[in-house]
Amino acid sequence: MTPAPDALCRHCLLPVGRRGFARTVNGEGCQFCCYGCCIAHQVKSGSGDASEAAWFLVRLGVGSFLSMNIMLFSLLVYSGAFNGADRRVLPTIQLLLFGLATPALLILGEPFLRETWVQARHGRLTSSALIVLGSLAAYVYSTLAVFQGGGHLYFDTASMVLMLFTLGRYLEAAGRARASRDLAPLLAAESELATVVEGAQEQRRPVREVRAGMLIRVRPGERIPIDGVIVEGRSHTDEAVITGESRQIAKSVGACVLAGSINLDGPLLIRSSGSGGESRWAQICRSVRDALRQSSRTQRIADRLVGAFVPIVLALAGITLLYWVQHLPFDQAMLTALSVLVVACPCAVGLAAPMAHSLGIGQLARHGCLVRSPGALEALAGARLIAFDKTGTLTLGRPHLVDVVLDGVGEDEVLARLAGLERHSEHGLGRAIVLAAVARGLAPIATENVQIVPGRGLRGVVHGESVAAGSAALMCELGWQLPPALSERAEAMTSTGHSVVFVGWSEPARAGRARAALSFDDTPLPEAAATIDALRSLGLRVTLLSGDHAGAAARVAATVGVDEWQAGLLPEAKRAALDQYRERHGAIAMVGDGLNDGPGLACADVGIAVGSATDLARETADLVLPADGLWLLPWVVGRARAVRSTILANLAWAFGYNLIALTCAAIGLLQPILAAAVMAGSSLLVVLNSLRLERLPGPSYPVALQSSAAVQGRRRKLALLRAAP
Amino acid sequence: MTYYALLFLAGFAGSFHCIGMCGGFACALGPDPRGAGATSVRHVLYNTGRLTTYCFLGTLAGGLGQAICTSLGLRSQPGAPFLSASLDAGQRALAVMAGLLMIIMALSFFGLRGRRRATNSFGGSTLVISLRSLLRTPGYAAPLAFGVLNGFLPCPLVYAMVAQAASTVDVLSGCLTMAVFGLGTFPAMLAMGGLGRLLAPTWRQRGVRLAGGFILALGLVTLSRGVLPMAAGHGMHHLWHFT
Repeated sequence: MTPAPDALCRHCLLPVGRRGFARTVNGEGCQFCCYGCCIAHQVKSGSGDASEAAWFLVRLGVGSFLSMNIMLFSLLVYSGAFNGADRRVLPTIQLLLFGLATPALLILGEPFLRETWVQARHGRLTSSALIVLGSLAAYVYSTLAVFQGGGHLYFDTASMVLMLFTLGRYLEAAGRARASRDLAPLLAAESELATVVEGAQEQRRPVREVRAGMLIRVRPGERIPIDGVIVEGRSHTDEAVITGESRQIAKSVGACVLAGSINLDGPLLIRSSGSGGESRWAQICRSVRDALRQSSRTQRIADRLVGAFVPIVLALAGITLLYWVQHLPFDQAMLTALSVLVVACPCAVGLAAPMAHSLGIGQLARHGCLVRSPGALEALAGARLIAFDKTGTLTLGRPHLVDVVLDGVGEDEVLARLAGLERHSEHGLGRAIVLAAVARGLAPIATENVQIVPGRGLRGVVHGESVAAGSAALMCELGWQLPPALSERAEAMTSTGHSVVFVGWSEPARAGRARAALSFDDTPLPEAAATIDALRSLGLRVTLLSGDHAGAAARVAATVGVDEWQAGLLPEAKRAALDQYRERHGAIAMVGDGLNDGPGLACADVGIAVGSATDLARETADLVLPADGLWLLPWVVGRARAVRSTILANLAWAFGYNLIALTCAAIGLLQPILAAAVMAGSSLLVVLNSLRLERLPGPSYPVALQSSAAVQGRRRKLALLRAAP
Repeated sequence: MTYYALLFLAGFAGSFHCIGMCGGFACALGPDPRGAGATSVRHVLYNTGRLTTYCFLGTLAGGLGQAICTSLGLRSQPGAPFLSASLDAGQRALAVMAGLLMIIMALSFFGLRGRRRATNSFGGSTLVISLRSLLRTPGYAAPLAFGVLNGFLPCPLVYAMVAQAASTVDVLSGCLTMAVFGLGTFPAMLAMGGLGRLLAPTWRQRGVRLAGGFILALGLVTLSRGVLPMAAGHGMHHLWHFT
C-alpha cells in the first residue's frame, strides 16, 4: 500500500512525499516519510509488550553486533595481526566474515531494498538504490573472493555502509520529531478522542463524532477536545494552543472552555457547544496541516535537483569505475566507484527546507501566529516593505467619544437621547455612544420608530417628538437648523481627522434643530509605535494605506511614526498602490485586519491578518496573527528570516559538502565506509543546524510599554473593549 | 600482563559506577520466565553485546592511532605498545593526549568537575528512549541488541578507556584493551542481573572513587610515557613490573 503523497508523516509531521511508505503500528495504519521515522515512531509509541517497535531496534542492534564484529576482524586482518605465524587461520576468518556478513546484509539491507523496489515499480530511482547497489556490489565481490580464493574482502564495507545509513536515518528522524514538537498539540485535534457521557455510560469517541449538546468528561491533565460550557466541576485551564499565551485561567460551572486548552487540576463535565470538527482548534489544526503539506519554491527546486541527482550519480560511478579499472586492480576501482555511490546520497538536501519550515511554523503557532504555507515565511523574510491598513490594524478599530460641543442643552441629556437612539444601531459610532453613556451611568431614553437613514444617520421618536443623529446632510434633509457655532467647530474637528455626529430634536410645536456636535476618534494601539520602530530597525520600509480621509490617516501616521502614507484609497486603489510599491521596492507585505482589506492582503506578496484567526476558512491572508498580536510582528519577521537563512545555510552545506565529497570519492581519496559516515554526519549536521532555530528567543512585549503600569492597565481595558460584544 | 591486569581492575572497580546507570538496565532486563538457565543466557548475551561494542570502539581507536602514526611515518614497533621502550613523537603526542583525557575524567569521578550532562543531550536522550522499549522484549536477540546499543551510551569510563586504546597505536592492542576492560565489568554486571537489586549507594560511591583512582593511575602512567625522556620511560616500565 502506498500512501497519498500529501499526507503527513506520523512521526515527524513532515509531508510523506514520494519516499513514504505505510506500516501498521499497534493495529493502526500509519504513514511515514522514511524508514528512519518508521523506526523512531515505533520506538516511541510501542511501549509495553512485544511491539514491532522493539523489533526494529533488535534489528538495528543485532545488525550492529554483526557488522561491528565484521569490522573488528577486518581491521585486524588489514592491520596485519594475522600476517605472521597465524597465517593459517586466515581462510577460517574469511569464512567467519562471510557467515557474519550474510545475515547482517539481510537484516540491515531489507528496508532499503524494499524502498528501492517499491520506487522502482513506480519508475523512480531513489537514494536507497545507491545504497543497495553499493553494498550489494561489495558483498558479491567479497563472496566470490572467499569461494574462489584470493583477493581482498569488503564485507566490512557492505555491512558498515548499511549500518551507518540506518543509524543516520534513525537519528535524522529523531531530530525531525523534535523539530515538530511544537506542532503536535496543534495537529492533535484530528486524532483526539473525547470521553462522551451518555446516561451512566462513558465512551471514548473520535472528536469529529461529537455533536453539539453532548456531555464530555475531561480529566485533569487532559486536553479539552471541544468548545463548550462547564456543567460540573471547577479547574484551571491553559489556553496556550489557541491564544499563544500560557497562563492558568480559573474556570467553574457556566464558564466557556476552548477546545485545545489543557485542563490542569480538576475533573470537568462539559456540554459541547458545537460539533467537534468546527472548534477553532480543529480549524487551526486544518490550517497548519495544509501549511505543512505545501512546499515552498526553494523546496521544490531542491526536490527537483535531488530527483535528477540519482541518475547522474549512477553515471558518475560508472565513469569512475571505467576510468580507474584501467589504472588499478579491479577491486580498488570498484571501491572507488562505491565511494562515489555512497557519498552522493542526497538525503541532506531533501531535508534542508522542510525541517526548518516545520520548526518555524511550529514556533509561530505556539505563540498564536498561524502560517498558511511555508512559502509565506520565505516571502516575508524577503519582504522589503510593509504596508499597514489603518483601521483595526494600527488603531483599535473602535472609535470613542472625545469631544462634545453643545448649543444650549446639557451634555447628559444629549448622551441619554443619543444612547436611546443608537442602541438600535450596529454602527461603530453607535457602540461608542452607548459605551460613553454607560460610563456616565446614564439610562438611555426609550425611543420608538427608529429608522436608519442609509449613509446619513438615524432618526426616531421620543414622547411624540422626533429626534435624529447623523451628518450635517441629515439635518439639512430634515429641514432642521444647524447653528453656525456648531458647524464651524464641526469643520475644525473634521479637518483634524475626527468623525463628527450632529444630534438634534424637535420640541412641542417647534421645528427641530441641531443641538450638539460630537466628535469621535479611533485610538492608535499603544504598541503600534514601538512595533513600527522595531520593524524599521529590521531594515523594512513602513507605509500606511488607508481608506479613511487624509486628516485621519495623517494623524495616525504621525502618532505611530510612519512617514509615508496614502489616504482615501478604495480597495482597487490600494491594490494599485501595492503594485507601484512592488515595482519600486521589491517584495511587499501587507498587514490588515483581514475583514475589509481582503483584496489588498491577497495582492501583496505576504498578506498578514491581525486578530481574526476565528474566520480562518475565509481568510485571504498567508499569515494570521492573534488578536492584540501586532507587537509580535517584528518577532515574526525575525523568525521568518532565521528560517530562511537556516534553509540557505543547509542547502549550501548539503550541496557544497556533496560536491566536495563526490570529488574526493571520484579521485579515490575516500573509503566507502568513511563516505557513508560522512554522509550520515552530513544529514545529522543539517538536522542539528535546523534545531538551532529552537534556541532563538521568543517574542517579548515592548519594554517601553511593559514598564508603564498605566499603559498596561489601558491595554487591558482595550482588550476588554474588544471582547465586548 | 600487568598492564592488562590494571585495565581489568579498572573495569571491575568502574563497574560500580556502571551499576548506577547500566545496572538499572541489567535489573530491568530481569529474570527470564523460563528459568535460571534462560536468565543466565539473557544476561550473558546482554554483556556480550556490550563487550562487542567496547571491542569495536577499541579497535577503531587503535586503528585510528595506528593510522595517524603511520601517516606521519613515525611508527616504530607495532604490537608492543606499553612495553616498548623506544617511543616516537607520534606515539608520545597520542599518549599525552590520552593521558590528559583520562586524568580529567578521573577527576570528574571524584566530583571535581561539574555533573556531566551527556545523557541529557540530544544523542544521549534519544538513545535512552530507544533502549527502554527493548527491555521487555522476549527472546534472545533483544538482550544482545540491547547490550550493543547500551555500549554506545555516553560514559566517561568508556571514553577514558577508548583514549587509552588510541594511545596503544595498534589495532589488536586497542581491541584487547577494551576487551579486558569490558571483561572487568562482567562480574558486577552479571551479579546485578542475578541479584536483581541495587548495591547500597555508599558502596557505589566507594566503587566510583576506586575506579577514579585506577583511571587516574592509568592516565598518569600514559601521560608519563609521552612526557618523560626515554630512559625514564624505560625505568617506568621496570618499576611497573615490580609493583
